[in-house]
Amino acid sequence: MIRIVKQFFFFSLFAGLFACSGGGAARQIPIEDFFKNPEKTAFKLSPDGQYIAYLQPYKNRLNIHVRKLDEQKTLRLSSGLDRNISNFYWANNEQILYLKDSDGDENRRLYAVNKDGSQTRLLIPDTKVRVRIISADALPNNEVLLALNKRDSTIFDAYRLNIVTGVLKLVAKNTGTITDWMADAKGQLRLAMSNDGVNETILYRTTEAQSFKTLFTTNFKSSVRPIGFCPEKDCLYALSNRGRDKTALVEIDCRTGKEIRVIFNTGNVDVSDAEYSTLHQKIRYATYTTWKSQRVFLDEESKRIFADLSKKLPATEIRLSSTNAEEDKWIIRTFTDKNPGAFYLYHVKTKKLSQLAVINTAIKPMELCAMKAVSYTAADGQPLQGYLTLPQGKSPKNLPLVVLPHGGPGARNTWTYNAEVQFLANRGYAVFQVNYRGSTGYGKKFWTAGFKQWGKRSQHDITDGVHWLIKQGIVDPKRVGIYGFSFGGYSALWGLCFEPNLYACGASYSGLSNLFSYLKDIPPYYKPYRLMYEEMVGNPEADADYFRQVSPIFHTENIVAPLLVAQGARDSRVNITETDQLVKQLRKRGISVTYLVKQKEGHLFRNEENRLDFYRHLEVFLAKHLQN
Amino acid sequence: MEHSQPIYRKNLSLIISFMVLITISLLIAILLAYNFTKKYVENEFAADKVEVFERTIQPYTNFFQQGIPEVSYYHGYLDSASADSYARRLIARYAFIEKVIFYDTEVSNWPISDGIKAGYFSVQPKAIYQIGPGVRKGAQVIFSSKNPNTLSLKTADEFNKMAIKLNKYVESADTTQAPSPDETFATFYGIDANKISYLNVPRKEELAMFKKLMLVKQAKSPVFEKDMFTFYLNPKRLRLVNTRPELYQQLKIVPLVFEPLSTEGEQLTTEIALPGAFSGYKLHFSSSPAFLKTEIYHRFLPIFGAILLIYAFLLLIAYLIYRNLFINQQLFKLQYDFINNLTHEFKTPLSVIKVAGNNIGSSSNLSIAERKRYATILDQEVEKLNTLMNKLLSFTQLENKSITWKAERIVLADFCSAITHAFLLDKPGFLLNIDIKGVTEIQSDPILLSSIFNNLMDNAYKYSPPDRQELAIEIKKEGAYILFLFKDKGIGMTKSDAKHIFKKFYRIENQYNQHGSVGLGLAFCKELVNFMKGDITVKSQPGKGSTFIVSIPYTH
Repeated sequence: MIRIVKQFFFFSLFAGLFACSGGGAARQIPIEDFFKNPEKTAFKLSPDGQYIAYLQPYKNRLNIHVRKLDEQKTLRLSSGLDRNISNFYWANNEQILYLKDSDGDENRRLYAVNKDGSQTRLLIPDTKVRVRIISADALPNNEVLLALNKRDSTIFDAYRLNIVTGVLKLVAKNTGTITDWMADAKGQLRLAMSNDGVNETILYRTTEAQSFKTLFTTNFKSSVRPIGFCPEKDCLYALSNRGRDKTALVEIDCRTGKEIRVIFNTGNVDVSDAEYSTLHQKIRYATYTTWKSQRVFLDEESKRIFADLSKKLPATEIRLSSTNAEEDKWIIRTFTDKNPGAFYLYHVKTKKLSQLAVINTAIKPMELCAMKAVSYTAADGQPLQGYLTLPQGKSPKNLPLVVLPHGGPGARNTWTYNAEVQFLANRGYAVFQVNYRGSTGYGKKFWTAGFKQWGKRSQHDITDGVHWLIKQGIVDPKRVGIYGFSFGGYSALWGLCFEPNLYACGASYSGLSNLFSYLKDIPPYYKPYRLMYEEMVGNPEADADYFRQVSPIFHTENIVAPLLVAQGARDSRVNITETDQLVKQLRKRGISVTYLVKQKEGHLFRNEENRLDFYRHLEVFLAKHLQN
Repeated sequence: MEHSQPIYRKNLSLIISFMVLITISLLIAILLAYNFTKKYVENEFAADKVEVFERTIQPYTNFFQQGIPEVSYYHGYLDSASADSYARRLIARYAFIEKVIFYDTEVSNWPISDGIKAGYFSVQPKAIYQIGPGVRKGAQVIFSSKNPNTLSLKTADEFNKMAIKLNKYVESADTTQAPSPDETFATFYGIDANKISYLNVPRKEELAMFKKLMLVKQAKSPVFEKDMFTFYLNPKRLRLVNTRPELYQQLKIVPLVFEPLSTEGEQLTTEIALPGAFSGYKLHFSSSPAFLKTEIYHRFLPIFGAILLIYAFLLLIAYLIYRNLFINQQLFKLQYDFINNLTHEFKTPLSVIKVAGNNIGSSSNLSIAERKRYATILDQEVEKLNTLMNKLLSFTQLENKSITWKAERIVLADFCSAITHAFLLDKPGFLLNIDIKGVTEIQSDPILLSSIFNNLMDNAYKYSPPDRQELAIEIKKEGAYILFLFKDKGIGMTKSDAKHIFKKFYRIENQYNQHGSVGLGLAFCKELVNFMKGDITVKSQPGKGSTFIVSIPYTH
């Protein structure tokens, strides 16, 4: 009899479980499906358009694979086992260049390999030299443009390296403050961007035979980003907010440094990008982000192509990813908020579209949650934009909430597929992201409004957003957690310290805890940079009281909610000894702290297994403190 | 009776020995409990000092583990104003900080006039400030590098010590990793009697630069800022937290070499050395024996009470056992007496029958008169035996509730005259007077009622001296009851006897009942009356007479 009763009990238990899952809550998608490496990504066409190379995991690390366009047989060209290979270049129709570190030493070195997999070779054997690529695609005369700190470890000069013969020539000496270089379509080094920390100067020359001349200098608060050269002589396309609040696409006269005309300007938000056609030396279109990325065409051909693509791929975002040299074969990428998307090959002439790969086949868009743009007004009247993603199958009432502030703070959230957001929403949380003051994309004024406002206005914008959601009844005020990476982690720590009644728990992934340390990381050799940071964050001596007031490490005694801390032992931005100290102080007071340290990782966990381990911990932590 | 007495004595001795044993146990328990309590309190006196110590030293531990390392969080960015607010925060929080010296320090490869230089590595105080009680808001400058060569050795003493340690460390440091906890403690802390110096711990990157500065000749380097503090501490200002005021009469912080010289008799003392910068001092605990005794009694009292309670409980059990034994003993005695008496009762008629039998057998011829006499004798004695047997039988029946109740109409006057007439047949001198008041007839069982009458009349007859052979029976109605009063002028009885006479086999020992009494009569009456839902009581005066009162519910 007891046995029967027991069985009945189990039966009813199971029945209950099924009833729950049948009652609307979505299937729990495994963590791996969200955060594993993409199955295939970063497709690039060879200059002649005959071959296609891409990244695909090999032993859990992304490595370069190549195949002929119309064949299925693929060949692996690299075997990086420590880290994913993040970028590669078709140097010519035969060879591929890529950067790879060895033993996770963070010094990425330049390799070349033939497309048949032969002759993998290290191009700069000197281990002390760091390599930055200036231009490596479709090289004229097989010569790659590199910036190397060969002469002085703190200064990068521009070199031209023949990848066939190995001959290395100095092209331009760095005067000391040049941070970036730009070549024209023919591979001539014509632009240099110099930065003394506070002021940015653009230097120009018409030919390599001339020396660089200063075009203009701007304060770091203004930015001028060169896009490409116009067909006319001495003319440059650039994204600039010099003399205006919102970044616009402009044409600059390289003789005078003056703006010739504004090509496109929205007036509301920054122009975020422009697609430059190297072949035609013109801008195909400009993009800007309102609540999601928008496109304005400046070229009839592009407009036609995108119209055709939109017809063939409706209800999805489309991005141009790579073209061949003739620009008649395009690789495009699609995505939505619920779909990581796929890569397609498009023949401009025949209008033929074929799918190359789906980035993540494990994700079924039907199961994911819609990301909704929301806007509210901060306590001081500033309108703010954010995104709210609600879990599937639950009525939008009294939900547990995860606040997910973005890093930076000079960055922004936008409408796109975000694995973190989808993972959290799938686990039943409402997810709130906000472009608080100090975020980019809304103009210079909005960005600088976050200067010296860490722990102040930037944080209050987040807090105001949470209160707004609570007021709407969407969120259960007792089940609000905050999680973020880097500055987002700082926001989480700050929230637990200074809004202890608002948050039931917090998770800091490489979160900053001490503003003094953040400023300390700028070595005295780069004293000029300090001035820029002092303007953005504050002066550690003059603003010592402010720094202390908003740095969580000084206020651990305020923290009462449970905390999760993830830290890479090699993080050069967030000092592990300070994080240790923070955890120790909290544990001593009996606060529950889950502390996750990854020995071989830096600021961002790059290896799949560490990433997955972190999200597993986050899942358990949030479930314990936010689910009933 | 002769056999029961030894058994009785044996029980008593058992009880007494038990009592003695538990009393001894009680005494031992009290003694042990007291000694244990005393030992326990003394042990606590020695052991619980750790708790007091930890609570007293807690602010120092916090200061050392959190307050001091906070300097490193500033990464050398402290200036006179922020150092002042930092130090004042500490002073406000930790009473034992007397003053704070802040050395705003510069590290470079420049030539310096004050400070320490090793290789090309120079450590120089840019300025030295004093912060603390007595110094008004804002740090007081005691040295500034604007006035070179004015730094006295005394002012620079702590600074020089720490700078040399830093030099030693930089010279041999492994710059690929941050200083280990051991190295941090050995290099960046300076702990001396009543003062702690602390130099903010450089980061790995800084350390690499310092090492290069020291070992490689370079152009004029940038100046690295470092912060150093010396905290002067006063152990006497530690707030003593006596968590056990009942154990420790007095707490003191005294120098390590202090030995108490008792002036007020023997004192119990214990001590514990203070850590770190206070290592020249110890925490001294003392209590007078009388003070501790109070605590011992305080704790012993409830234990004592518990022991007494257990003892009382044992006593109660002993009493109950004794009582049971006594009752059994009595019961045994009664039964024994009963058999004795019964034997007598049976023996008398039997011996008479035997003698009569013998006489009949031995005489060759019996006259008619003789035969008649013997027949009468035999008949009488058999009748006696029969009555005896009936009495026993009906009593057993009554006890087992196996007799039945047959209510009949009884006319009291007729009933009384019939029963007294029969009774008086062989008792010619007995004076019996019946008085019936206000009632003529009742509903009852005549057989049971006559049994009660017979028994009570028998008793009155039996226990009256020859000269006072009289009984007055009074019948009257009182409320819902009808009362029968049997008033004799017999020998009476004491009050204690009166309590027991209704018990089975109970007999009053006297000359009147040497023969022919079993001790069942009154018990039988009581059973009968109870059976009839009535009650029987007795009032008696020794030597004067007794009155038995039977009351039964009145029905008609």
